[in-house]
Amino acid sequence: MTLPPDYTDYPIRRRAMDHDRYAYRALPRAAPIAWPGGARVALWVAVHVGHYPMDMRLKPFAIPGGMERPYPSYWDFTQRDYGNRIGIYRMMKAMAARGVKGTALISATLAREYPVLMDEIEAAGWEPACAGLDMGHLHHGDIAEAEERSRFAEATALLRGRFGDAVTGWHSPAHSESARTPDLVAGAGFTWTSGWPNDDMPYPFATTAGTLTAMPLSQDLSDQRLLMQQNLATEDYCSAILAAHQTLDAEARATGSGRILTLSVTPWLMGQPHRIRAFGALLDAILARGAVWSAAGAEIAAAWRAQAS
Amino acid sequence: MLKTPGHYDYMPWRRRPKITWPNGAQIAVWLAPNIEHYELNPPPNPRRTPWPRPLPDVLNYAWRDYGNRAGFWRMADVMAKHGVRGSVSLNVAVCDHYPEIIERCLELDWELFSHGTYNTRYFYEMDEAMQREVIRDSRETIRRVSGQNLDGWLTPAISNDETTQHVLAEEGILYTLDMTHDDQPTPVNTRAGRLVSIPYSLEINDVPLFVTRDTPAERYAAICKAQFDQLYEEGAESGTVMCMPLHPYLIGQPHRIAALDQVLAHITGHDKVWLATGREIARHYIDHHLADHQAWIAEGTP
Repeated sequence: MTLPPDYTDYPIRRRAMDHDRYAYRALPRAAPIAWPGGARVALWVAVHVGHYPMDMRLKPFAIPGGMERPYPSYWDFTQRDYGNRIGIYRMMKAMAARGVKGTALISATLAREYPVLMDEIEAAGWEPACAGLDMGHLHHGDIAEAEERSRFAEATALLRGRFGDAVTGWHSPAHSESARTPDLVAGAGFTWTSGWPNDDMPYPFATTAGTLTAMPLSQDLSDQRLLMQQNLATEDYCSAILAAHQTLDAEARATGSGRILTLSVTPWLMGQPHRIRAFGALLDAILARGAVWSAAGAEIAAAWRAQAS
Repeated sequence: MLKTPGHYDYMPWRRRPKITWPNGAQIAVWLAPNIEHYELNPPPNPRRTPWPRPLPDVLNYAWRDYGNRAGFWRMADVMAKHGVRGSVSLNVAVCDHYPEIIERCLELDWELFSHGTYNTRYFYEMDEAMQREVIRDSRETIRRVSGQNLDGWLTPAISNDETTQHVLAEEGILYTLDMTHDDQPTPVNTRAGRLVSIPYSLEINDVPLFVTRDTPAERYAAICKAQFDQLYEEGAESGTVMCMPLHPYLIGQPHRIAALDQVLAHITGHDKVWLATGREIARHYIDHHLADHQAWIAEGTP
């Protein structure tokens, strides 16, 4: 058994991406962006308000926070649910005390299951964004089109049914998408999306239904990766965030272009009693460095679009 | 398959009816040593294989066994030094295998509650009649060795099946620890009877921290202290609960026991702390606050 001769054919080997969703852009050569008030770094706190159904499967792959123990895993389910009952309120309090805005990446099922939580997210002034139906209904390459359209439509209807036009952002749960997901997202009127963690700044993302603004939601620096997958100490997480800020701030000074520091954070992790003070101290440390613009995802995307086009 | 346990209602962590603990305490702290026996040759369960290696899994068996031979005694001494009682999450067969351990627990005025018969007899796929049989065995065994009533329950390895909480309520269990959804006691909805949930913990539990998350002992102590400090502060608004689940085979190791000593010194160095047992917390909650919580939920948690 040997490989067929065309295994070494490269039909799209040319100066371009190997797909047509976006063009290559070297970050140092991106057009300069000015943030409001002369800020160097926009602080985007994106909070994963996820619902992990107890009957979810670890297929087609295991997502962070999925039901890892045998069914019925009260162990996994109630730990995640703790975030929506308790942890998120600690984060809201810590952020409100410092005037830090948030974007809630919401499992749309929660609009039906936890209406009180939706009221509190609205009262906190956080931007509501749609993060799919729930963490058990992913978008991925092996899903039939009709099924994906159905779960997408249900999620969109649920969240817009509660928040209306305030929902302009889409985050595919667990950063997982099918090849058609961005087309559905743009087709439904969303304007920004954050599934592809491949840049520090927004960029245009092409779809069959118009251009989306791709927002930088770091996965390498997310609390789920550092605290849950890599088992780092809370202090190590905070150091990593502050190191990222230092680099981004220095780049902003050097290039004259604003940068974005994204906190991809999770209530069942960051809202635990033993972590919440560190979270508050982290926000203080970021704000103390000065020239920080705290904004929701939609605001950052809009500010970028206004200058990039 | 169930999408949610369905045993509790949504209770946001704001504007809850105030919980007050005895003597003006802001926090109820309770320690739950898991005193367990893992069988050398357990029967198979369809949903979980007890040991990772072929039987006999000498390494993993002996690791747990260390807890009963050495770790427990060290852990109990440190707790006694600080005047902190334990509420034992007890595999009740320990009463038969190692009565010396039970004698020491009772000498220290500890509560015994059930963690099933053995930690290698899971509740997955157990029918209700068999679940009842295990619960009744626990009740009789604990009464026989201690005269105590069986009030609390943690399913072995948290292997509860869909019906377990219903059966617990029907069997007259006061409190369950199978859910870690809250930092306060909450009502538990079951098809009959009355059951409440008391906070247990997987966040500051020594098994996830030391075995799964590779936490050094010093970090463990720092995490426990941070957990206490936050819940102590929040308890000024409404009383909170902090549970420290312990496993003698881990916390009782010579290189870790100082961490427990430090944490208990930190906790007992505060004055508005109620050093309670699970039973005491459950009784206080049921007598003074359960109805308020239920009414608040019925009003839509305004």
